[in-house]
Parts: sequence; C-alpha cells; structure tokens
Amino acid sequence: MSITASEPDLATAWDTAVDDAPVALNARQDLIAVAGAAGTLWILDATTGAGIDTFELPGGALSVALAPDARHAAATGPTGYALWRREDGRTTVHDTGAWSATAAWADNERVAIAAGRRALVLTPDGEERWATEPAASTVTDLAWLRQGRRLAVAAYGAVRCHERHTPKPVMTYPYIGSHLALAVAPTGRWICSGNQDASIHIWRTRDAGELTMSGYPEKVSRLAFDDTGFWLAADGAPDVTVWDFSGKGPAGTAPRSLRCHETITALAWRPGGGGHLASGGADGTVALWRATAGRPESRLSPARILDGDTTVAALTWAGPELLVSAYRDGRIRAHRLPSRTTL
Amino acid sequence: MTTPTSDEPRDQRVPVTVLTGFLGSGKTTLLNRILTEQHGLRIAVIENEFGEVGVDDALVLDSEEEIFEMNNGCICCTVRGDLIRILGALMRRREKFDHILIETTGLADPAPVAQTFFMDDEIAAQLRLDAIVTLVDAAHVLQHLDEVKPEGVENEAVEQIAFADRIVLNKTDLVDESAIAEVTDRIRAINSSVQIIPAQHAEIYLPQVLDVGAFDLERVLAEDPSFLTETEHQHDTTVTSVGIDLTGELDEERLNRWLGTLLRTKGVDIFRSKGILALAGAPKQYVFQGVHMLLVGEFGRHWHDGEQRRNRLVFIGRNLDREALECGFADCLATAGAAA
Repeated sequence: MSITASEPDLATAWDTAVDDAPVALNARQDLIAVAGAAGTLWILDATTGAGIDTFELPGGALSVALAPDARHAAATGPTGYALWRREDGRTTVHDTGAWSATAAWADNERVAIAAGRRALVLTPDGEERWATEPAASTVTDLAWLRQGRRLAVAAYGAVRCHERHTPKPVMTYPYIGSHLALAVAPTGRWICSGNQDASIHIWRTRDAGELTMSGYPEKVSRLAFDDTGFWLAADGAPDVTVWDFSGKGPAGTAPRSLRCHETITALAWRPGGGGHLASGGADGTVALWRATAGRPESRLSPARILDGDTTVAALTWAGPELLVSAYRDGRIRAHRLPSRTTL
Repeated sequence: MTTPTSDEPRDQRVPVTVLTGFLGSGKTTLLNRILTEQHGLRIAVIENEFGEVGVDDALVLDSEEEIFEMNNGCICCTVRGDLIRILGALMRRREKFDHILIETTGLADPAPVAQTFFMDDEIAAQLRLDAIVTLVDAAHVLQHLDEVKPEGVENEAVEQIAFADRIVLNKTDLVDESAIAEVTDRIRAINSSVQIIPAQHAEIYLPQVLDVGAFDLERVLAEDPSFLTETEHQHDTTVTSVGIDLTGELDEERLNRWLGTLLRTKGVDIFRSKGILALAGAPKQYVFQGVHMLLVGEFGRHWHDGEQRRNRLVFIGRNLDREALECGFADCLATAGAAA
C-alpha cells in the first residue's frame, strides 16, 4: 500500500549541475562519478555534491565506474577509455579507437574494460593483466562472477565467461541475438542478458539451463539484480518488470509490473536488499518502489514520485540513504531518505 | 510498429540519409560536398570506410559493420548493431543534429541498415530514415552489375540499386550519351521507380537527396508521379521491379492475408515494397512501405470527391513473378470476391 500524498517530500541533500548531458553515474564510498556524453568526467563529494576533480575522455563517454575503495575510476567511451587516480588526480587516456561500452571492477586492484570485441583486465594504473579473445561483436556489457575470478562478457550470439589462464572462454552461454545488458545474481546462480530481440535470456550457471522471457514490447537494455540476488528488475516496456529468482527461479511465474514511466531511462536497486527500487523516465520523473511487495503478476504503484523537468539520464545510490539522479540538462540532484530502511 | 500516424504534427525526428555506392563512385566527394555547402545544418556523419571527410562543423564517427540477426524467426530480418550503438550514443549527446548521414561500404547490404530504423524502437522514436541514396559510377557500373557472383552471393551493385530511393548517376562526363542511356536502362530494369540524378563530380542540387522523405509514406506517393512506370524487360536480370496499377477498392482482410503471406514466403526476395491503396470504405488513402518482411502502413490523405479509387504499388526484388503478383493483388479487390 502506498500513500504518496501524505508522505513528506524527500529532503534534497544537494543539487548541482554539470556542463554536459550526463550519461552515467556511479557512487562508491564518499564519491560520485558523473560521465558527460561529450567526454568530461566529474568526481563529486557524495555528502555535499561539491566538485572534487574532473578529467577528460576525448571522443565522448558512455560509462564510468569507481573502484570499490573509490581511489580510482575508469571511464569508457566510443573511442577508448581513461583511468583516474584519486591520490594525485593523474589521468591516463587510452585512445584505442575501439568502442568501450563499460568497465567493471573485480576488486580494488583489477578492472575489466570492454575494448571493441575484447575485454581487458587491467591494474588501476592501466597495466594489462590479461585479455579475452575477440567476441563475435563489440562487447556490450561485463560482469564479474566467483569473487572476481571469472568475467562474463556479453556480445552478439553469446555470453562468454573468461578466466585469467586462457584467452578462450572457459564457459560459453550461446543464444543467437544481440545481448545488450548483463546481470549476474550476487548468489552466482543466474546469468541474465537483456536482448535486442525484446527478451531476457536466463542461464542457470550450475548447469547452463536456459530460459527466455520474451514478449517485451521493446528491447531490454537495462536489467539489474538486487543485493540478495532474488529479484531482477528490467526495462523493455513502459512497465518495469520485477522477476522473482528465489527458489527454483522465475520459470513459469509472472513478474510484478511497476507502472509509472512511458519510457524507462534508469533503474537502480537500493542497497541493502529491502526490495526498494528507483526508476527514472524520459518524462523526468523518478519513482521509488517497494518492488517486491504484493503478489506475482500484480501491478504496483510507486511509493514516491520525484518530479523533474528533463529526462532522467542516470540514477545511483550512494549508500541506502542517498539517491542521486542525473538529468539530461546537466542537473545532478541528491535526495536523502528518512532512514536506511524506509522509503 | 513505430511510424507515427498521419494525424500527428510534423515529424520532429532527425532525418537520416544512407549513402551507398561502390568504392570510387564518388561517395566521399558527395559527402564532402554536403558538409561544406553553406546550408547551416548541423550534420553528424557515420563512416564505414576510412574516407577523407573532415569538416569542423560536422561530427564524424567511425563504425565497423556488425550485422545482427533478430531472434524472431524471420531469417532476413537483420539489423546493424554498430548503428544502433552509435546512433543511440549520438542521441544522448547534448548537441542536437539537424541531419545524420550514414556512409556504407561499397560491399554493404542496405537491408540491415534500413531494417534498423524499423526494428529498434529507441531509434525509430528519435530518427527517421529519409532516403537511401546510391551513387553509381556511370563509367563502371555495368561492369559491376554484370559481375557473376558465386551461387548464393549477392551482387552488391544490384542490391544497392534495388534498395535506392535516389540514384546519383555520377561521372557522366566520362561516358557518352549512349552509355548513359544504357546505364539508365539497366537501372530502370532493376528499380523502375527510382529517381535518377545525373551528375559530374557528385555535383548535385542537395535538396534532391537531403530531406526528401523517401521513407515518408505520404511524401513518397504524393510527390512521385513516376512511382509506377511500367518497365520493359530488355535485360535478363533477376532483380526487377513489378509495378501494379489497378482501379477499384480493396477488401482489407483479403489484402492483409495476401500481403502477409507474400512477405512471409517471398520476403527474402522482395527487397523493397511500397504502395498507395484504396481500402473499401476508407475515406483516406492507405500507404505502406516495406523492407523485406518488415512493413509499415498508415492512412495518408483523404480521397478527393469524385477521385477515382486507384491502387498503385511496386515490388522490387529477385525472381519476382509478375503474373502471380498481379493476380494475387487483383484477387484482393472487393469486387473480386463478389465475382468469385
């Protein structure tokens, strides 16, 4: 049950702006990283929103990822990637000419970078530890499994899992189609890909058992597991769908539908596993959900709606109490939640 | 399907022109001409070949062709993953572009490029395919068209002509009149409805190729009286156009069944299809446009008072059976059912 009207508005913790259209946000420890489409990266203080540093990735930016200890950041873009070091602000740009869709940190010492059709595993200073062989297409997404020992790489035709000792995949999960986004359950039990063919493809890692959730009206380009690994949220429709992956998984079940936006532009689970989800829309609204409430197949209403003027470009949580939203016009806003567990 | 209905206000989506043509046909020259002309447009270019395009005002992005099959049981339904990616990133930038040009390699199949605009909702919402413009080297095209390919391999020159909405017949200064006539003939035998623009050094009046709305159903048919020209087949060519012009009103259900079956079974061989139709009982013209098995249709302008209800459509493709198409279509006439 949600009573939007009677709840007091969320306090705005801070409100700032960057001089570009943001495309990605990431938060770790006391930092927020903002990627601008034209290639400027802003590092902000999570508590105040104050600028700490900026760096440039010529050719534009697509994503940014801070290391777990927030001492480094990796930014990726259409023509290469850049690594930033907090200690002295040093930035190294790798202008590879190859499309770098994303970066994923295994731990504080290793970051995987999508570089064209390959994935590179680098030290925080950019030294190559190992690399995968080329995939069938440009790599679209990356995720670590097994405490950072295994790297899942999404590209056309398959999700391939790699380990350090060989450039060839140690495990291939084939499915004809263009895998746009990857989500690995924190339990390690499931690998899911969002697909251009408007479906979610699911593999059980134990035995590579497969499942396809098809019938989405649009391509599925955002999907995310919550901290428990029991819930998967996805776009692909005006409704956010939330699938229950507890027990035997979602086979034969129906998802919960979260209706608020016409076009979903961002999804972010609140840390802590309380089933709270934030979603953003092209219309500028940010919705907060008790996304696991109710029964399967039910249509949920948002617990809260935060109105904005322009398209929500990205969302991230800086801990369970601070929700950070980036808007297409460059505005970055942080909202403080009343407590660690309430919405 | 994502094409807006005709009741909506003017299409706000950014027009995209696809430039195809063999290496040496003058694509880069035309591209540079478009970019340097004082038209005040902010243009983004996606290049598939390393050209010498470089203009301060334009954003030039490189891409490498990545063709993805769609997992929908339709074997000819492929899209260009590289374009989805690049166009997606382009649309997220703060700067707004007035026009986007996509240059393909001389060996590229235009179908996945066109289908990308039908199949990807994010792209279809923000961008519209304006026209496929094919550059043809008047001096060398016959040689390319006559090239015998191994079984199962497409002749890309034929495909690029078949898919074209506009053909720039370039380098006419290098050949004589009779050669131009012969090339024009050959082009017409493949694609009867295409507009051919003769040029030297890719010098053309740009409004002939930019923002022409060749994929805009209304404009296609309103502005294109040559849309259906019967062609005589002087050439033994497997890729041809079949135009049908028939008066009368159509039974919608029968039409859907016929067109559906046709595209499902022959869609691999039908490269392009377009038409303007009179549905029984409909006050407006019905216009459709297809690439292989993908088809979009919508109602266009009102039929005028006393205007003869007339159906005009064209198929461009491989091994088309003119008689079967004509008969099949004639059976969709509302009166055909009554007669049967």
